Amino acid sequence: MVYGQRYKEMIMGKFKGSAAAGDLSLALSNDELHILINLVEQLLELLGERNFTHHYQSDDPFAQLMNATLGNIQSPIEQPDDPVLRRLLPNGYADPESAAEFRKYTEGSLRTLKQKHLLYLREQLVFPVDHELPEADVKITDPTQWLIAINDLRIALAVRLEIDENGYEKYEVMPDSDPQKHLFTVYYWLGGIQENLISHL
Amino acid sequence: MSSQTQLEETLDLSKFFDNLWVTIVWDDPVNLMNYVTYVFIKLFGFSKEKAHQLMMQVHTEGKAVVSSGTREEMERAVQQLHEHGLWATLQRDDHG
Repeated sequence: MVYGQRYKEMIMGKFKGSAAAGDLSLALSNDELHILINLVEQLLELLGERNFTHHYQSDDPFAQLMNATLGNIQSPIEQPDDPVLRRLLPNGYADPESAAEFRKYTEGSLRTLKQKHLLYLREQLVFPVDHELPEADVKITDPTQWLIAINDLRIALAVRLEIDENGYEKYEVMPDSDPQKHLFTVYYWLGGIQENLISHL
Repeated sequence: MSSQTQLEETLDLSKFFDNLWVTIVWDDPVNLMNYVTYVFIKLFGFSKEKAHQLMMQVHTEGKAVVSSGTREEMERAVQQLHEHGLWATLQRDDHG
């Protein structure tokens, strides 16, 4: 597990209100919204949810890089081949036979729950975009669903970027010319959102 | 009479242990410590201290038993932990 305190300052001052009062919100720029919505939509697709239209055309280089990282997905039926799906929908038993049986009865509903949390997050994120607000305070009406959805995005990125216990140390010395540096930044930025969100509960 | 009752209790007890299953949470390099503590409190109703202690056990020892009960209860716990992005499995209790 990871001590998230050090990512916290990346998002300092962006949260307003409190979960208890029901008025918690997060200030995000248009670019940040764009990145988050793209990630959410890609993970939704990976989880087999195709019942939405993409919010942005993937014509900018960063979106294409994200697509190349999270995309190229096979749609799995029983035992996921994709490492992101293996981590998001893991075995419930060490023993393969029990694991397969457990998966048979539970994977569908787990997948649906994850889609539900991501669709909820997407709905909150696209609101300011649809209303063409330049700088948005995104409402966090259900902090738990936010936490779960953001966590799943972090897991997906971490698997693709092969982030391990020493990920942050590697990131700190990574040259700006490294094509994956932006994605690492997004990953730690998401960690900052999550860590701050927990402290606002 | 009393030895009969004792015998019945022993039998009941062994049946109970046969049905004892545990949920194990495994360490991973992504989940944030405070998030895992939050999930333990939310799903199992632990105090903050207890949840923090279990989270630290997962972190330092690589795994921890976070719940025990019937197989059905543990399957439900594992599914909820998976929903929250934690890596969990269930198994029959070794001490059963």
